[in-house]
Amino acid sequence: MSEQPLTLDAVLTDEAVLSTYRRMFAALARDSGAVVDDPVLVDIAETLFAAFAEAGEEWLTHEQMRFACRAYPGEQFDNRLRVLKGLGAIREVFPKPNQLRYRASFTSVVGLMFIRRMMDDGGQSEMHRLLALEDLNVADPRTTMEEARQSAVNLARAFRLWALELITLTTGTIEELREQAPKLWGTEEIARRAQGLHGTILTRWPELDRVCTDLRAAIYAYSDASRRAAGRLADSAGTTRNLTLLPTETWRTFSQTASKERLAAVLDGFVFDAPAPWHDPAAVARAVDEAPRPAPAQPTPPRSTLPDPGPSDSLDTSPGAAVERLREMAESLLGGSARVALADVLGPDWVTARRVLADLTSIDLRPELPYRLTWSDELSVDPGREPAWLSRGHLERTR
Amino acid sequence: MSTAQQPGAAGPVAHVRARSGGPLPLGPGAPAPAGMIRLTWPDSTGQALPVWPDGVTPALLEEYQVAPAPVERAGETRRVLAAVLKCCWTDLSVDPWPGSPAPVELVLDTYRALIGRTDDLMRNWAVGALRRLHDSAWVVVDDGVVVLGPRCALWPVEAHAQLQELVRRLPSPDRAELTVVGDADIVAAAMPTRSAVPAASAESTVPTASAESIASAGSAASTESAVSVMPAPSTGSTRSAPAVSARPAESAGSTVPTASVESAVPTAFAEAVASAPSAESAAPAESAVSASAVVGGGRVEGGGAGFDDLLGAYDERRRAELVAAYMVVEHAAEPVQEVRFAALRDPALRHTLSEMLARRGRVLVQYRDRWISGYDDVCAATPGASGRDEAAAASLPPAGPAGAAGLTGSAGPAAGAGGEGSVGGGRLGVAERAVLTLVLVHSVAIPRAEGLLPEDSWLSPHPTPADELRRHTQLPIGELEAALRTLRHAGLLAQVKAGEEAGGYVPGPQFHRLTPSARRRLQEELILAAGPNTPLAAAVRARRSAR
Repeated sequence: MSEQPLTLDAVLTDEAVLSTYRRMFAALARDSGAVVDDPVLVDIAETLFAAFAEAGEEWLTHEQMRFACRAYPGEQFDNRLRVLKGLGAIREVFPKPNQLRYRASFTSVVGLMFIRRMMDDGGQSEMHRLLALEDLNVADPRTTMEEARQSAVNLARAFRLWALELITLTTGTIEELREQAPKLWGTEEIARRAQGLHGTILTRWPELDRVCTDLRAAIYAYSDASRRAAGRLADSAGTTRNLTLLPTETWRTFSQTASKERLAAVLDGFVFDAPAPWHDPAAVARAVDEAPRPAPAQPTPPRSTLPDPGPSDSLDTSPGAAVERLREMAESLLGGSARVALADVLGPDWVTARRVLADLTSIDLRPELPYRLTWSDELSVDPGREPAWLSRGHLERTR
Repeated sequence: MSTAQQPGAAGPVAHVRARSGGPLPLGPGAPAPAGMIRLTWPDSTGQALPVWPDGVTPALLEEYQVAPAPVERAGETRRVLAAVLKCCWTDLSVDPWPGSPAPVELVLDTYRALIGRTDDLMRNWAVGALRRLHDSAWVVVDDGVVVLGPRCALWPVEAHAQLQELVRRLPSPDRAELTVVGDADIVAAAMPTRSAVPAASAESTVPTASAESIASAGSAASTESAVSVMPAPSTGSTRSAPAVSARPAESAGSTVPTASVESAVPTAFAEAVASAPSAESAAPAESAVSASAVVGGGRVEGGGAGFDDLLGAYDERRRAELVAAYMVVEHAAEPVQEVRFAALRDPALRHTLSEMLARRGRVLVQYRDRWISGYDDVCAATPGASGRDEAAAASLPPAGPAGAAGLTGSAGPAAGAGGEGSVGGGRLGVAERAVLTLVLVHSVAIPRAEGLLPEDSWLSPHPTPADELRRHTQLPIGELEAALRTLRHAGLLAQVKAGEEAGGYVPGPQFHRLTPSARRRLQEELILAAGPNTPLAAAVRARRSAR
């Protein structure tokens, strides 16, 4: 770039590229000069972008941004906002002084997505995509040899750097290897894809064989480094950690798609006990004793085998019998007079007295009988007598 | 013990086969491996079962308050076993095994009378219990007929009185007088169908619905049989009735399997066998039975645990400690703490314990200060070379006219389940292994990949939801349910219940018994299966080929 003449356009282009770069890494910057050292800071940026996406054309004010990030400490938020603004990830809606509303940069969001993915799989899927794209490129008839050469050189460089990093890890501490290696080592598929690409380039431009040799060596070096790292890990990890080296998704895919035979093959060489519980005679006897007994039916009380109608025949069931009995009783109490005091007819025996009272009450309640009970308000109390409390009343003949 | 044959390395392998596949089928005249009793049929084929030292049984664990492997629906299963015993042990004056066959319906009726319930649910439970008892060789159910299984021969003689008392007080079912087909006819009809028997047994004119008439089946048709012991009139319906049962004398007399056992029969049974040509008849027995002599039931022969040379050097207390530790590590559900058992604590005793276990193809497995036993990797890896031979030899009895026609069913499931004689896989079929793998992936591999399960163990607190197994796998649902049942019964899976939705299956107590190298191998197999193209799988393959 330095050999190009310095024009205003060039400066503008440079500035555009630079600002894109800055925006892309704004989410990772600790301040305008460095990269974040705390993942929470990236989370703040992501929260903010999500809030911006929801706000739409309303944009966001400073207060709304603060509210969206209320889960984070104030000073961290201020720091983030300052950096994001400084790098242009969040900008005023209109470049005017005292602007209150802000908008977010699309580039920063995309950059953040990319970064997150890189953090998850160490760039494996990027490499897959890259290889797929390059494959399409070199197959395209418009691609020039120079472009193919460039792509081969780039890939060779990427593979070399990748392999170098793995080799460094393999000779380093086991913890670091365990942490990093599964993100870096490639599957056989990546190597296969890269070799396919290499083959395509070589067939189409045989004169690029020198570059292709480099690429081939880099791919082999990478596969080798992957295998070595995995071998060292498998050796050291023992029986606990190896399963962690396959991602959860692999396990799920396996369990959901594998055929019965493939699943069963895992346990082919293993010996397990046949079911052989011990049923001790004592335990068998105990089980019999503890058998749940059915609830016995309620026994009915014993009954005589002879027919027994009870005292039912002693009751006169004719319709007028009850009224006649009551009339006789009233007449016997009145004894010819028109009115008697209850105190005189009841007598001292409460047990019979209450029966008489009950009959008198039913006489009183029958309008067809010409007798009535009248009660006065007097009440005599005598603790020595029975009943001790006695109210005064009279039985009268009304006709 | 003075077992006639010196098995060498075959002994441990045979024990591995017996533990993983149930009672070992034995060919005609083939002796039982050391440390096993031989259940001999009249045609001199038989089955072999391991015995325990010093006459103890796994009930010993209860004395030490160590939990044995859990029994599924223990109460119900044992009540059904009691019902079977009531129906099959018709002659209380002899040992319960082999007893006489009884129709399944009679067993179900007896069970019904025992618990006083008659609904369909009860019946389903009882049938489930019968299936579990069959799978564990306690009974043999075949074609509507039940007989006591080989494991019943392991009940110690001292406990027989208790069982007799139990059988006496069990209520008999009140069955309608008019059953369409008599019990004995069912038994008679079921038995010959299993084996290609000449029509000698066709005249099944059984008068009463009692299986006893079968017990007296030493029929005239088989007079050439040397083992004919019951001087019975020839009213017998079938040749498959047990007539005599000789117990293994506790005295050191009859330990050579092929020797006559009658000579050691206690006097209680003397009159039963009085008419039998005793000692001299045993020798011709072998030749006679080859001429398809069919008579009578089985005998129990031999049967020392084979540890006397190891245990003899110790005084009584140490010996008891060794035997206790042996039983505990072999039968406990979980590893036991070494402080509780002298034979685990003391290195010298522990060495002897390992030697005892080695004779059974077992090794001690240590989890810090806890111990349990597992299969010796070498024995387990032996690709059933000896096993296949014996299985081939023993494939005769099911076809042969053995008195064991129904009983060979106990060997049947083992072969039928696809084990086909090899040690590996025991009796687990393809579906069972597949389900087990799925549970291992979901309960162990995935939690470990997520960093939730740090221990070097294949047990897990993370249940595999039953729904996950039902919906998101390639297994047919019918096979899945049957496989789950089998695995649960074998202690390979445990069911976790938690509310309506949660819960599921976790690896069962058997996974305590994996040796470190077996644990490692299991992990490698899983990686090879799940990610065959990963560098990790490449590393595993590279290391295996380097070895």
